[in-house]
Amino acid sequence: MHLVLQDLANGILAGGILAVVALGFSLVWGIMNIINLAHGAFVMLGAYLTYQLFASLHVDPFLSLPVSFVVMFAAGYLLQRYLINWVVRAPILTTFLLTFGLSLLFVNIALIVWTGDQRGVTTAYAGANFTIVGVTIPWVKLYTLLVALVITGVMHLWLTRSKTGRAIRATSMDIGAAQLSGVRVASIYAIVYGLGAGLAGVAGSLISMSYAINPNMGEPFLIKAFVVCVLGGLGSVQGALVGGLVYGIVEAFATQLDFTIGTQHISGSGLQDAIALAVLLIVLIVRPTGIMGKATA
Amino acid sequence: MKLRPTAALGILALSATLAAPSVPVSAAGDTILFGSPVSLTGSLTKEGHLTQEGYELWKNYVNAHGGLKVGGKTYKVDIKYYDDESKNDTSAQLAERLIDQDHVNFLLGPYGSGTSFTVAQIAERKKIPMVEGNGAAEKIFNQGFKYTFGVLSPAKRYLEGILQMAKAQKPAAQTVAITAASDAFSQEVAQGAAAWANANGMKVVYNNKYPDTATDVSSIISALKQTNPDIILNAGHLQDALLVQKGLKEQNVIAKGYGYSVGPDTPDFASSLGKDANDVFGGAQWSDAVKYKGAPGFIRSAPEYAKAIDAAYHHRADYHNAESTAACLAFQYAIERAGSLDPEKVRDALAKLDVTTFYGIIKFDSRGINLYKPMVVNQIQNGRLTTVWPAFTADGKPIYPAPPWGKR
Repeated sequence: MHLVLQDLANGILAGGILAVVALGFSLVWGIMNIINLAHGAFVMLGAYLTYQLFASLHVDPFLSLPVSFVVMFAAGYLLQRYLINWVVRAPILTTFLLTFGLSLLFVNIALIVWTGDQRGVTTAYAGANFTIVGVTIPWVKLYTLLVALVITGVMHLWLTRSKTGRAIRATSMDIGAAQLSGVRVASIYAIVYGLGAGLAGVAGSLISMSYAINPNMGEPFLIKAFVVCVLGGLGSVQGALVGGLVYGIVEAFATQLDFTIGTQHISGSGLQDAIALAVLLIVLIVRPTGIMGKATA
Repeated sequence: MKLRPTAALGILALSATLAAPSVPVSAAGDTILFGSPVSLTGSLTKEGHLTQEGYELWKNYVNAHGGLKVGGKTYKVDIKYYDDESKNDTSAQLAERLIDQDHVNFLLGPYGSGTSFTVAQIAERKKIPMVEGNGAAEKIFNQGFKYTFGVLSPAKRYLEGILQMAKAQKPAAQTVAITAASDAFSQEVAQGAAAWANANGMKVVYNNKYPDTATDVSSIISALKQTNPDIILNAGHLQDALLVQKGLKEQNVIAKGYGYSVGPDTPDFASSLGKDANDVFGGAQWSDAVKYKGAPGFIRSAPEYAKAIDAAYHHRADYHNAESTAACLAFQYAIERAGSLDPEKVRDALAKLDVTTFYGIIKFDSRGINLYKPMVVNQIQNGRLTTVWPAFTADGKPIYPAPPWGKR
């Protein structure tokens, strides 16, 4: 029983991070129809920002979150405004190649600046934990989850209540109508891409505390972001959160699966990825728009 | 056009196979050209660079000392590298390019068992000898290949030393839990450790694997914790070793000893984890404490080798450096003994090679793997890597049982 509760906790804690990783990816994809292959590289850059602030200036990793967001937002905004905007109307393969190229560029720059060494952000309170009803919870991961929940909450409110947020949603629904109503689409796109990069940066900062930092660390997170946002439903804040949590919990429970077919012993934990993708497949068959997705025209 | 997720996934997979930068080198008549596809980017970047350092140190030493004498003629040596991005298929393609387009004389191995396995198939098909120092999975050597030689002790031995050491302590360790990444090397390491434990009266209370792309291993650690083992072993690579060690502390898992196949020997382990890295054991192919006296022709002792690495690359010599240099040394002695650059003659000389170097004995069994060199066990003691096993080569005693978290 304890193990079931512990796995649930592990899954939720891991899923919260995945939700933040997927959120920015999902907004860019859902609103701009760009599958941003540079997203993993943005996560990596956020992690290095936190690492550098921690290593050189002893800035607490949680305090570096706003820095990561602002720096990466600015980088994303400028990239969209002056580079990606040139091809934003081009066939999807063009943006695909452009963002893939950007990803290679950033990874190689990181390789030059920080080398291939594995880095870590290990604070004095790293690994501190408490136990409640037999379930051990590490403080860092709990705070990370809380930050993730706050971010998704704020994003949701901002997108539904603020003027810019409503303009963003209008652009995603119908560009023509939005333009006729006075929305400046180029600037909206730059804000959305900036948000995507900023959220990736924050995710990277959060990840830096529990995962090894290296120039290629973004790759598995890019793939997970992809699955999470298809699972939860494209372009929606709730979708990323639900998708992330479902993915995290499925992976956690998959770990404990153990079964035997004939003489072949099969361990579920080696098949985490396969099991998570099988769940994705089922969701796509039953609900092609994702768990929280709405049908679009 | 709205892109469907399924179509996008296909493109994602396709795009991942693009692009491989190269470093140009010219082949002259008086130069022996070696080629190596090595992980300069990708998940094994760090290890790939250590490999390259090991190769470069040898190349520079040999060239600075006049070159290699082959049948009365002296040759300089050069090495051409391509970045295989830590991908098995890319590594094989690049090996083919090294042989067909760059006309290398011989192949030096890539980093890792997965890549070494695919490159070994190319070496076999093209009949170009390869010596590798970074692929320890026996799978590579159980295919009947004639052109691939590995200077490493096989994967199954990686964690044996830690278990031997733990069993010799008072009170002796009785139970062991094993976690392993799903790649071929890590699986062989885990199986070897489990087999040794079972054959020597220790009980394996937990044995499970995780995908080598795992970003979270907390559920494995939760399950392992319930079995309350004396010794916790991890068979994996640096990145997941860091993940596991952080996870063990986060869930307050207390054991008498913690051992890793790859991790503690790389300086990044201690620099990333700080005090939480202390008292951890690592199985190693080599350490700068080993006491071999090498044959003439190259740096002859481990401490001198460590000095040379420090002078050239400003870090402590790592076993990945040493085993990579050892692969070059196997070629050096085999080529000199063959007195020829003919691939067949060098291959035969490699098969017959029996030489002691700063790294240990280099001698291959009929499958091409080095069964003759023991592993060593290192422990991080107060931030410093200390060799603690086997006793004849140790420069310190093991700290066992490990103090609890927070007191290291």
